[in-house]
Amino acid sequence: MSTLQAEHVYKVFGRRPADAVRALESGSGRDELRADGTTAAVIDASFSVEPGQIFVVMGLSGSGKSTLLRMLNGLLEPTAGRILFDGQDLTALSARELRRVRSTKISMVFQHFALFPHRNVLENAAYGLEVQGVDRAERERRAAEALALCGLEGWEKSWPDELSGGMQQRVGLARALATDADLLLMDESFSALDPLIRRDMQDQLLELQRRLKKTIVFITHDLNEAMRLGDGIAVMRDGRIVQQGTAEDILIRPADEYVASFIQDVDRSRVLTADAVMDVPDADAYACDCPTVSTDTPLADLCAVSARVPHPVAVTGGDGAVVGCVPQDRLIAFIGDEQRPPMACAEVAA
Amino acid sequence: MPRLHLGAWVDSGVDFLQRHLTWLFDAISALVTGLYDGIDAVLSAPHPLLFAGILAVGAWWLRGLLAGLLAFAGLALIDSVDLWSDAMSTLSLVLVATLVTLVIAIPLGIWASRSDRVSAVLRPVLDFMQTMPAMVYLIPGIIFFGVGVVPGIIATIIFSLPPGVRMTELGIRQVDSDLVEAADAFGTTPRDTLVRVQLPLALPTIMAGINQVIMLGLSMVVIAGMVGGGGLGGAVYRAIGNVDIGLGFEAGISIVILAMYLDRMTGALGRHVSPLGRRALAKARSAATGAAKVWNHRPQPAYAVSGAVVLALVAGGLNTFAADDETGPAGAANIGKGRTVSVGYIPWDEGIASTFLWKELLERRGFKVDARQLEAGALYTGLAGGQLDFQTDAWLPVTHAQYWEKYGNKLEDLGSWYGPTSLELSVPSYMKDVRSLADLKGKSAQFKGRIIGIEPSAGAMSILKDKVLKEYGLEGEYQVVDGSTPGMLAELKRAYDKKEPVLAVLWSPHWAYSSYELTKLEDPKGAWGKGDGIHTLARKGFAADEPEVAEWLRSFKLTEEQLTGLEAKIQEIGKGKEQEAVRAWLTDHPEIDKLA
Repeated sequence: MSTLQAEHVYKVFGRRPADAVRALESGSGRDELRADGTTAAVIDASFSVEPGQIFVVMGLSGSGKSTLLRMLNGLLEPTAGRILFDGQDLTALSARELRRVRSTKISMVFQHFALFPHRNVLENAAYGLEVQGVDRAERERRAAEALALCGLEGWEKSWPDELSGGMQQRVGLARALATDADLLLMDESFSALDPLIRRDMQDQLLELQRRLKKTIVFITHDLNEAMRLGDGIAVMRDGRIVQQGTAEDILIRPADEYVASFIQDVDRSRVLTADAVMDVPDADAYACDCPTVSTDTPLADLCAVSARVPHPVAVTGGDGAVVGCVPQDRLIAFIGDEQRPPMACAEVAA
Repeated sequence: MPRLHLGAWVDSGVDFLQRHLTWLFDAISALVTGLYDGIDAVLSAPHPLLFAGILAVGAWWLRGLLAGLLAFAGLALIDSVDLWSDAMSTLSLVLVATLVTLVIAIPLGIWASRSDRVSAVLRPVLDFMQTMPAMVYLIPGIIFFGVGVVPGIIATIIFSLPPGVRMTELGIRQVDSDLVEAADAFGTTPRDTLVRVQLPLALPTIMAGINQVIMLGLSMVVIAGMVGGGGLGGAVYRAIGNVDIGLGFEAGISIVILAMYLDRMTGALGRHVSPLGRRALAKARSAATGAAKVWNHRPQPAYAVSGAVVLALVAGGLNTFAADDETGPAGAANIGKGRTVSVGYIPWDEGIASTFLWKELLERRGFKVDARQLEAGALYTGLAGGQLDFQTDAWLPVTHAQYWEKYGNKLEDLGSWYGPTSLELSVPSYMKDVRSLADLKGKSAQFKGRIIGIEPSAGAMSILKDKVLKEYGLEGEYQVVDGSTPGMLAELKRAYDKKEPVLAVLWSPHWAYSSYELTKLEDPKGAWGKGDGIHTLARKGFAADEPEVAEWLRSFKLTEEQLTGLEAKIQEIGKGKEQEAVRAWLTDHPEIDKLA
């Protein structure tokens, strides 16, 4: 399996981009550059995505996340830095080699679907295979499989404009899956959908991910989506990655005020899991037959158990052994945004 | 402000090109002529109604039964007004021009869509091509390509190229950039992106461009007719030259019918070839019910094609059997032995009459005669360039002095066959108190101070402005209105019918004198100068190439009675049948046939 790595990647638009990178490396700010008419879209981005992971890049519009994504498959050439995928340095490839990588190893799903209106659903799904030069019967079979995988069986002969937004994006997903690429780049792919449909699509993506073990880089501006999907999350601001880590890392230990203000609206009880809040095991906790929870239980479900159990809830690992416990007060503290232990009355008043 | 000698530079540029790039112009000319002749031969081969049927089947297939019926009716109308072969010539001209235009415009449009720099460079060039008046480059066109269809086609291409390029560029640039990025993201090569994504999606816009190209091409046929392009344009030009409103309308409506047919067909074709259009059509068809189904029924392409092929075969067959009724002159009379002589003429009555007289006379003696109708400037340019052999309507030494001055050293004067002519101002005879130029003084109020003139380039106009008005002290009192011969004749007719005062520049011989009762104003001071003779002019070297013909032309003479009789005969038998009229007239005047 292949790892995707970005090493000190910069992307600067405007005149003399190389000079701008040098200025940024020696500590100039983004605003100073803007005065000269150059825009630093991505500044010194480094990260690594393990095979089979969903890596989410989150940020507001203008933060450089889409630019970053387009450098991962060479649609944009980094001004500086390297992109390594499957042992290859993509920045060193010729245009022809890069096209080969894009057609076979990396595929992409777009925010506004970008389905070809002059091709029916099946022809759209088969597009990548057509580019690869796969013969007609073979590519139609594989495209039909990919469509079935995305729940679109029976819609092969329909036209894109006859489908709802959610179904169109399934076609987009099927088109990306049909080529059997290991890496899937998803550019705000669910942002244009209704909230309910979006949730459906997220579930389906997670389900597909479990079955197909693709490596996915997912761009979003929605932190809830990021937390739901991401094995690893990078938060971008003004072209820089300001924090990287798991959903819990970011929620529990925001790197700065910006990230902290971001996570205010997150439904923590659904994101945080038992292993993030548990304390060292308490001897009382497993002496009885009270219900226990697994480490990946969300706090929302933990609350229900905690309400019925008279003592801290025991948390069990994969082998059934107790690995920790969650006292009620600690649970409450984590659902609020305080990560401090309870204090004396006088201290609280102060 | 210093005077920039832009005109002089262009003149020497044209000279330079003519000297050094003749081979190129000849090659282009040969290619375009070949294309035109080929297409014209195919289009003119079938019987008119059968070919109309073939075109109607096409309309039925592309647009439905009603369109097919209307197309047939329209095309049959063209045939019934005797303009079918003219219409086919025009159609060939437009098709050749469109073909060449598209071969140039679509690649240019694609190139412009992919490069902002190319687009920026092309834009002013296209503006130039589209807005520069066509007559400005038609005359150099004749210098380079000779008279005939080629300069007309080239002018049409220049005029209709811009929308082809622009619409192609626009269509491709309009394709959603997301789709182009998607294609790119799946590793599509730029070439495949063009072929698989951009062109199919740009097709409706490109087809609209093609439609524009054809429409602009049709709008140029009249101008092409002025430089020997023939066809319906020639008919219109002839009609306006003679204020023949009826013929003008017939030729005009034929152009309109062709234009509507081509417009609707290319529009429908656009829907048929574009993937999105095909879907919309299929949807509309499946939604139709009852009577609408019959109207919307389209024959399957296979049936349509085989129907058209069967009709075409029948048409071709008929033509094969019908052909070959031409018989050459027998024995001793066959001096020409099939050699071709090309004659140019300005569509003035005496020009038409003498040209068709000579066409008949020469054909009786074994020559093939190619008679082409041209605008005066084009006629002289073509003669001087050697593309024409002779013309019979040169008014010398006065009226055509400017042409003689410019081209005289490249022409041979074969003598005058009629004369003297005269230039004059004329008024309707109901203006009883105006008899002489001297009578005009103090009467400008009656004429609103206007003298209705003709083309400002005409010799009569400069003589009038520079000499006549001065001699009679009319300067300042009268204003000479520049215009055109048809305009002057139309104004004369209008005023004459309403019995209003009118004062116009005219010349004799002119058919207006037989149509209206007009008074030629006397010129006691002789300010108009002596009259012209109508001369026959040949290209340099013609007399050496065809000594017999030159000898016949030199001995050619007509009296006023003979000329007006011939003109009247032509008027009587009707347009398009000039040669028939000449034959009829020759039976009464066998002495003319002995001339040659």
